[in-house]
Amino acid sequence: MGITSVIKLSAPCCVGLLAMLGALWATPARAAETACEPAKLAVKYPSLKGVTVKVGQDGESPPFSHRDPKDFSKIIGLDADLARAVFACAGVPVTFVTGSWSGLIPAAMAGQIDVMWDTLLYTPERAKKLDFVVYMGAVTGVMAPKGNPKNLKSLGDLCGLKVTAGLGTTQEAQLRDAAGKCTAAGKKAIDIITAPDIPAGIRLVQNGRADAFSTNKALVTSMAEKMPGVFDIAFEIETGSKIAAGVAKGRDDLRRAIFDGLRAIAADGRMQKIFADNRIDFATARAPEVLTE
Amino acid sequence: MREALQETLSYAVAPFLLEGALTAIEIALLAMLGGLVFGLLLAMARVSRAAPLRWVAWFYIWFMRGTPVLLQLVLLYDALPSLGIKFDSFTTAVIGFALNQAAYSAEIIRGGILSVNRNQSLAAAALGMKPFLTLRRIILPQAMRAILPGMSNEAISLIKGTSVASVIFVNELTFRAQQIVGQNFKFFTVFAAAGILYLIMTSAVAALQSYLERRFNPETRHKETPLPAAPTSDRSWTARIVQTGAGPDAAFVQCKGVHKRYGGREILRGVDLTVARGEVVVVMGPSGSGKSTLLRLINHLEALDGGEITVDGKYVGYEKRDGVLRPQSDVWRARAEARIGMVFQSFNLFDHFSALDNITEAPVQVYGEAPDAARALAVSLLGGVGLAHHANHLPHRLSGGQQQRVAIARALAVSPRLMLFDEPTSALDPELVGEVLAVIRELAEAGMTMIVVTHEVRFARQVADRVIFMDEGRVIEEGPPEQVLDNPTQDRTRRFLNLVGPRQD
Repeated sequence: MGITSVIKLSAPCCVGLLAMLGALWATPARAAETACEPAKLAVKYPSLKGVTVKVGQDGESPPFSHRDPKDFSKIIGLDADLARAVFACAGVPVTFVTGSWSGLIPAAMAGQIDVMWDTLLYTPERAKKLDFVVYMGAVTGVMAPKGNPKNLKSLGDLCGLKVTAGLGTTQEAQLRDAAGKCTAAGKKAIDIITAPDIPAGIRLVQNGRADAFSTNKALVTSMAEKMPGVFDIAFEIETGSKIAAGVAKGRDDLRRAIFDGLRAIAADGRMQKIFADNRIDFATARAPEVLTE
Repeated sequence: MREALQETLSYAVAPFLLEGALTAIEIALLAMLGGLVFGLLLAMARVSRAAPLRWVAWFYIWFMRGTPVLLQLVLLYDALPSLGIKFDSFTTAVIGFALNQAAYSAEIIRGGILSVNRNQSLAAAALGMKPFLTLRRIILPQAMRAILPGMSNEAISLIKGTSVASVIFVNELTFRAQQIVGQNFKFFTVFAAAGILYLIMTSAVAALQSYLERRFNPETRHKETPLPAAPTSDRSWTARIVQTGAGPDAAFVQCKGVHKRYGGREILRGVDLTVARGEVVVVMGPSGSGKSTLLRLINHLEALDGGEITVDGKYVGYEKRDGVLRPQSDVWRARAEARIGMVFQSFNLFDHFSALDNITEAPVQVYGEAPDAARALAVSLLGGVGLAHHANHLPHRLSGGQQQRVAIARALAVSPRLMLFDEPTSALDPELVGEVLAVIRELAEAGMTMIVVTHEVRFARQVADRVIFMDEGRVIEEGPPEQVLDNPTQDRTRRFLNLVGPRQD
């Protein structure tokens, strides 16, 4: 399930750089280059002509990719909305293909899907297999029961407590790191419980089996809103990591279409609206950037 | 509580989940069918006499059972495209699960095949049935009772196990339930609804299982079939069966220098035997002397290691090349053409067939006779052996003597030119021996060519034209019954007769 999706977020992001890049892509002088021109598909991205782009998502990672509560057959969320907007901009129809998160990277590499767009965290290791188009930074959110009874404010406060994170996620690695620091400081280590998926992690906190759940911040925010009176965000950790859409190596038209589309919707304000619609802090957005290694 | 129940039910009928259930059923059904067919082939390879086939099947099963199905699916879905083969999610899931299922099914089917007594195949082979026919008509129907519960387990596991395929974008029931939970976190009601749908699907499998178990249970499946034409009560029934050909002196069976080994042990060490047409030869000797083996070599149930045997001037399933006898690949055809009837010590009736069906099996399936004609003959044969009223009975409802008489009728139904009896009364209670010997005696009187392995001295004296005494793989004495039985020249014969004789005389 979406556990793996949580892997992808985290980022002590350099705020100055972010602001600078934000200013850069929003500059009106670049508007002409970043216009949406769906009619020019055949000229701009010839290999996408006649193609319906398959966007791979797990459909279980609110608020990035999840089912529409009014119509389960529809996928919504930040990543779904961005993908729709970006490919509409290029003039390419899209279809969403849902499967478990761990199957998405192999499927993108094999060409079974065209884009993996599902809170995918960029790493140099992954960039050996896929090309990345970055659009936001990753922030970890630590979720505690309502009112934050243990008064948790930083990773250091977790020493000696039971904390859960998704198996194999960035957050798990962060907790292991913090646990080492606890022991080094002569305190009790963090008792880390790995959860198989996000709902399972949430249930651990809900049932008092864990004191906190560390996952991505946007997810925690959406959860705290969905279950008012149950959870609060205790604190957040900027990781500096980048969230991106992934495409197979060699799909240059596709990668350009995503990059151009992101720039276009950032320029005309639609990106900001999509973040707002999905209740995600626009400050976490980053200037579109292609990373191929 | 009431609300939770309503919510659960509303999810249970939600099209989004129902579609997922349908996907799970479709994949499971197709994969199960594919797995069954391929699994049957693998099971046959596993029990095959060809070692390379066994190894390949063993390796396949070892590999498929030893690696996670998740990895197999991802490989099929994401690695094959680099070889230019690109299946969609559904097809990949069906192929992947079928390949995996085949490995498990193969072992279940093999277990079922092994659970059927080997004597059943032996009896089928003696009737000239080819291996595939034997598998289809005799072995599998009996193996089914052992196979069905295991296969039913597999089908149920598979329906639930299709959720693994979400890794290759198959959106079945569990995945869809997780998707809803991922959206609204109502895990209890959503998963409960999925549970209800799974229960409905697996109940269907359980119902199918119990239907099939009834169908393959000879007791419940068996219908009383009306019998054609009243059985003949006159003594002429043997006349319809026994064909008396050329003069009684013509050599019908000729064994020359017959050798047979099992492992390093020599069972037959150069046996010479000639049986004339219409002659009744009784073979006696202590156990282990090679009597039964000799019979099985005559109709090629076992292969010769040396020497040669002809029946009516022809080899049974051998051809001579460069002066050496080589078994033909279609021995079953030669057995059918030779028309040699065989009766076993342990009867070896087909347990799932009625007495009548036991008798009609070979005429219809091997010799292509019309079922009606075969049934009419079977009824008259049953009348001949005194079992007209037991035509519809399953073997286990008959006494040993009755079973053996059905077995004789079964052997006679193919109009044999030679009858081999392998200790036909040894497994019977003493009071049942007489009824079987009476039938054999009638055949002898009608002129049937017969080789009878028996310890019944009185029977031998009355019926045999010639008695052969074997010991340690050789014929040590032969001659008319009065000579061999009353004045044996060999010490070994005398000692043996002293042991078995008093019981009968």
